[in-house]
Amino acid sequence: MVELELTVNEKTYKLEIEPDERLIDVLRRRLGFTGTKEGCGEGECGACTVILDGRTVNSCLVLGVQAHGRKIITIEGVGDRRRPHPVQRAFVEEGAVQCGYCTPGMVLSAKALLDKNSDPSPQEIGVAMSGNLCRCTGYDKILRAVQRAAREVSGK
Amino acid sequence: MQFFQARNVMEAVERAGPGSYFLAGGTDLALQLREGKVKPQVLVDLSRVAELKTLNASGGCLEIGSMMTFAELGSSELVRTKANALWLACQSMGSPQIRNQATIGGNLGNCSPAADGLPPLLALGAEVRLVSRRGEETVSLAELLKRRPLLQEGTLIKGFLIPDQGWKSGFAKLGRRRALAIARLSLGIAVKSEGSRAKKIRVALGAVGERAFLSEALAEMLEEREMDETWLEAAAAGAQQVVASALGSRASAPYKQAAVAGVMREALASLAGGEELNGG
Amino acid sequence: MTSVIGSRAVREDAWGKVFGQAKYPADVNLPGQIYGVVLRSPHPHARIRRLDVRKARELTGVAAVLTASDVPHNSHGVLFRDQPVLVSERIRMVGDPLVAVAAESPETAREAARLVEIEYELLPALFNPEEAMRPGAPALHPEVHGESNVLYHLPVVKGDLAKGWASADVVVEQDYSTQMVDHAFLQPEAVLAQVDERGHLVVQAATQYPHYDRGEIAHALGIKVSRVQVKTLSVGGSFGGREDISLQLVAALLAYRTLRPVKMENSREESFYSHCKRHPMTMHYKTGATREGKLVAMEARIVGDAGAYASWSPNILRKAAIHATGPYEIPNLRVDSYAVFTNNPWTGAMRGFGAAQPVLAYESQMELLAKKLKISPVEIRLRNMFRTGSTTATGQALTGSVGLEECLQKVAPFLWKEGDRE
Repeated sequence: MVELELTVNEKTYKLEIEPDERLIDVLRRRLGFTGTKEGCGEGECGACTVILDGRTVNSCLVLGVQAHGRKIITIEGVGDRRRPHPVQRAFVEEGAVQCGYCTPGMVLSAKALLDKNSDPSPQEIGVAMSGNLCRCTGYDKILRAVQRAAREVSGK
Repeated sequence: MQFFQARNVMEAVERAGPGSYFLAGGTDLALQLREGKVKPQVLVDLSRVAELKTLNASGGCLEIGSMMTFAELGSSELVRTKANALWLACQSMGSPQIRNQATIGGNLGNCSPAADGLPPLLALGAEVRLVSRRGEETVSLAELLKRRPLLQEGTLIKGFLIPDQGWKSGFAKLGRRRALAIARLSLGIAVKSEGSRAKKIRVALGAVGERAFLSEALAEMLEEREMDETWLEAAAAGAQQVVASALGSRASAPYKQAAVAGVMREALASLAGGEELNGG
Repeated sequence: MTSVIGSRAVREDAWGKVFGQAKYPADVNLPGQIYGVVLRSPHPHARIRRLDVRKARELTGVAAVLTASDVPHNSHGVLFRDQPVLVSERIRMVGDPLVAVAAESPETAREAARLVEIEYELLPALFNPEEAMRPGAPALHPEVHGESNVLYHLPVVKGDLAKGWASADVVVEQDYSTQMVDHAFLQPEAVLAQVDERGHLVVQAATQYPHYDRGEIAHALGIKVSRVQVKTLSVGGSFGGREDISLQLVAALLAYRTLRPVKMENSREESFYSHCKRHPMTMHYKTGATREGKLVAMEARIVGDAGAYASWSPNILRKAAIHATGPYEIPNLRVDSYAVFTNNPWTGAMRGFGAAQPVLAYESQMELLAKKLKISPVEIRLRNMFRTGSTTATGQALTGSVGLEECLQKVAPFLWKEGDRE
């Protein structure tokens, strides 16, 4: 077992994990952040996306130990019913949510993009979202939702 | 399994012994661990080793630390101007999430046949800096890729040296889709030209065989020639020959042999960089 | 008065999903739960000669290792109960479930599954429906479906074919085939099953068909339907792939036998092995038209690969037959549609439910005819399409609204421009 100290959604956790334990298992199983979804387990689908020190990663391809001393944002840390993030509101309002299983990862990829670039081109949105698969194939609405959120964030 | 987080290269190398694995970005290793394909006794984590996270141009060389991620390299102006082929490969490798985590050193260490970083590094004439308890070694990537095994036990990939001699370079990759695609074919090419004349060429192929490789025959065929339409067609046809002989009777051969012509044209169309000597 | 049409509706469950609060079955847990896994067949066709679970049972942390003999009524299926909960003897496909294991951790359960010893007698496998339907091919389901592997045959006959062919000026004849497809819904199967304080089995799953799951669980375990409760949590995509029952049965069995809550989660790979696929179909089409571009005759033979179990195959191949002409009127025709057992993964419901595959054949036929007749692809469709008052191949009179012509006229300018085509 290895000692791990990490910050999730601005709260610090100290725990012991196995060296080969994946970050997704640390988040879901040990810490109860079940908003992070496992779709493929091999970095293809992006459902397990979290933001690690400001950058999106697939939590199924990161070992828990690699998150030592670092800051993670999961979907639980993005917004809530009282204060939804613009991306979350846009996803609901544009009908970009169907089965919802890809949604947390989509929202986090979009948030990470807008945190760096509040006025992205459609092409930049496409690239930023290219690591997240939606099987209900609502991509068009998802892209529209990100554009809508961008307008709100940038005030344009 | 033990876990050790190294603070510097010396510490990392000290802890590396039989049954140890260096942990870089881990996007391949995490999967192999889960599938039980590797069973390390010790994992030596490199994420805190600052000296492996460097990127600078000095002494006629672009120096890239092995722990630089694809995202970091792909957003670097220095890489774009000095090593365009590599910069291009960094745009299309994996997905944004994978590029944020995966490192260029890990790409070589894992050495998949389809490793996106290797054909451009080969084309750019990169040298690899290795370090182990036995000492340091600098070896050309082309030579290193001929070694079996790739690395001796306990050997750490410290970084890459790319000569900055005014070569233009380009890269193209064929995947089954635009994003999140493992390369079915990839091609890196670098050209040292005088006006419209190709003086020297390096061309490397990925995903056509066990490891990426430089094709000297193809380079020779294209050197000392005007880079006109005929030359372009010769490059495409030459790439087809290389793929045909590399793949032999493999099931993918007919497809890749046809496809590489287009990949070569795309790679040539992407040629850029080497601004300083060519006056931008 | 409020009207739905023209108003903007927000999905009821969208907010919970954007906050990551929506619960899919993998997200729910119970204190003291154990973890189940299924050991599946690596062989497409085999008999189990010897099955030894002693080592698996002895492993520390293992709560149960169950085999076919632990299942009171070992069969399930949406139309026919021809599918075992756990195979007792005959394996019919790669992925057939053989042994169910539950343990204190998923890792221990997987380790125990690896300790199960199985000796197989490998049997020649049937992968090609054409071969499987030949007389003399070994029958895959003699007990439930008799000596033929042809599970279903629907002939559709209309008009007078001889007359139709006699009036045809051009004929195109062609073979088409489509491939097997997985739904790849993004959320792999997961389930949480428990016996509650009432002694009722409560099964939480992502399913398209909870009332059917309930009946199948009650049947397999030999308990009253009123003692089984199936709760549908958030469903992470289905597309038909969650119509047949899946892990729910095994989890219910493990919970019932251990009296502990049982959690099961498929990996993506296990998911591929454990649910149905879209039917590959081979379609032989012969279509005739007059010089004026009017369809006059069609013969089609459609063979769908049912794989190892029936699932919805008869309904799906029925739909393929009904849609075999596409939205075109053909006065004289014969369609023969078959569903055939093989040792391939079993096939079942997937988006379109048998209506999707024939599109490739009948629309390609229209393209080929248009080319032969030197008329535009739009024109040949306009000359033959269903309109109000048309009668379909199966004799259905279309008396209501048929918007096809209006639709094609509107999209045609975007599909083909003058000079785009030879």
